[in-house]
Amino acid sequence: MAGTFRFLEEIALADLAFEAEGETVEEVFRGATQAVLESLANPATVSGGWERAIERTDADHSALLFDWLSDIVFWKDAAGVVYREAPLTLTREGNVWLLRARLIGAGVDQRTQELHADVKGVTKHLYEFKQTGACWKVRIVLDV
Amino acid sequence: MKLNTAMTVNRITDEIWEIPLSEKSGMLVPARIYATEGILQSMDSGVFDQVTNVACLPGIRRYALCMPDGHWGYGFPIGGVAAFDVQDGIISPGGVGYDINCGMRLIRTDLTLADVQPRLERLMTELFRKVPAGVGASGFVRLSREEFGRVMTHGARWCVERGYGWHRDLLRMEEGGCIEGADPSIVTDHAIQRGINQLGTLGSGNHYLEVQVVSNERIFDPVTAAALGITGHEQIVVMVHCGSRGFGHQVASDYLHVFEKAMRPYGITVKDQQLACAPFRSPEGQDYFSAMNCAANTAFANRQVITHQIREAFGTVFGQSAESLGMELVYDVAHNIAKVERYAEGELVVHRKGATRAFGPGSPELPEMFRQIGQPVICGGSMETGSYLLVGTDQAVRDTFGSTMHGAGRTMSRTQAKRTFRGEHLQQQMKQHGILVKAVSMSGLAEEAGLAYKNISEVVESVDRAGITKKVAELRPIGNIKG
Repeated sequence: MAGTFRFLEEIALADLAFEAEGETVEEVFRGATQAVLESLANPATVSGGWERAIERTDADHSALLFDWLSDIVFWKDAAGVVYREAPLTLTREGNVWLLRARLIGAGVDQRTQELHADVKGVTKHLYEFKQTGACWKVRIVLDV
Repeated sequence: MKLNTAMTVNRITDEIWEIPLSEKSGMLVPARIYATEGILQSMDSGVFDQVTNVACLPGIRRYALCMPDGHWGYGFPIGGVAAFDVQDGIISPGGVGYDINCGMRLIRTDLTLADVQPRLERLMTELFRKVPAGVGASGFVRLSREEFGRVMTHGARWCVERGYGWHRDLLRMEEGGCIEGADPSIVTDHAIQRGINQLGTLGSGNHYLEVQVVSNERIFDPVTAAALGITGHEQIVVMVHCGSRGFGHQVASDYLHVFEKAMRPYGITVKDQQLACAPFRSPEGQDYFSAMNCAANTAFANRQVITHQIREAFGTVFGQSAESLGMELVYDVAHNIAKVERYAEGELVVHRKGATRAFGPGSPELPEMFRQIGQPVICGGSMETGSYLLVGTDQAVRDTFGSTMHGAGRTMSRTQAKRTFRGEHLQQQMKQHGILVKAVSMSGLAEEAGLAYKNISEVVESVDRAGITKKVAELRPIGNIKG
């Protein structure tokens, strides 16, 4: 299942804040990933053609999500792309979380794509990844 | 007086407010906010909390300061100024900001509104074509890694050597557009990959290129204005607001990570993780300072390449060379930076985050041409209202470590602005008011609506009345390019 997300109005005046949630840590990863993709551009307007596989491991799922979302921002600048989708799986082996993901997108094209904000980075301001009952939730502020 | 804080805030003058040491455990100096009563009341709670967090950082001297355009930021508030002793003080990326050497640049012309109005649509189209903006945009300058290293060490000087500008431009930039002590070898590969294709690009968010008009009745100090090439009579000027793009952000992120780990061995604790810091004289502190200077120089170069493109665009549209159009630089000033400067307390690392250096006429650091009038200060307002040219004062050097405001300051979040305004409608409305806007992103345009910002005139009045900068002229927008 995909996680959900919503942008927050009352924090980060000059930037973009969102909250993603799901029943599993993996769902939160999906929701947060979608929020970053949609902060950059409307994914429905982005074709494919550019692709990169990314694998990351970390004992701390919170640090893993931070680094993964930072990867999305990094490749936006390094390859000059925006994204259509970023399918991912998250598994746990012992104490270590393993993320396998693919970034799929295309070079920036102002004529065909609905572009949004040029996100400069993921920040640790108010960064919080927590479990409340059966629900996992993360709050993230993106610097734009 | 109702404020967005439970802290005690004492009135020092009508424009200066002080939060005493007693208001937060660990404060080493009082916090001072420069604002009118009205502006102070509109400030979000983050300003009070963050400026008092800054007052707890090791080695801070005199006051933790916040300017009237202050609002919540990462670690430091935007509008924050703090100075730390070079011997026992710290340096913090949170006191510089992610967009290292984000700054303002103003270019004058001999053109008038009457010259430009009939060709405004064509001019804005040409500028939009020549100055890439928005998400993922790359510039026309192709660099090898070695050459990018020279951009990091030489800044705007590199541009002039390559023909992207005039030698005399360098005299009209903070630090001559090139800060010493930049070492590319300590910049990460990640940062280089992010920045190598971005020279000459605007970015998005609140960054912009604006064509503006200066009317006689909006010149407040005609002598100083004339000395800066501002003559009024519906004169056209061009303003640029941008910084070091993804490169600077990556440098800041990389060193925040380094400092988070470095604090414990140095016995430093901070009130907010985004205030992660290291002693200025430590290896980590010196590495960050050097990497930050690489990003600062890249930002000077970025604005210089953009200036070159602006001159080219004007040359194309008006069929004359930029020189014959009188397109001289008025000034280029940083508003996200840390620098070593000398004050009564000795050598200090002055952090300015969303705050501008504002040295007065008496400052020996200024080039000869500004010794009589003080250093130019450029403050950008919202795209609907206007901007200001000011000059620094000797009082700023005495009272605020030679610092003043940088812009209007937001009052509404981007998400709320997008819900409240529609980009297409705003673009249409501004056109009716004589402002032509070219934007890559309509949602990005909505985020920058004038009502999402404080009234810049009130912000400027407060620094003028406080004596830390003096108004020279107000600049009214007629064309704007946004990412």
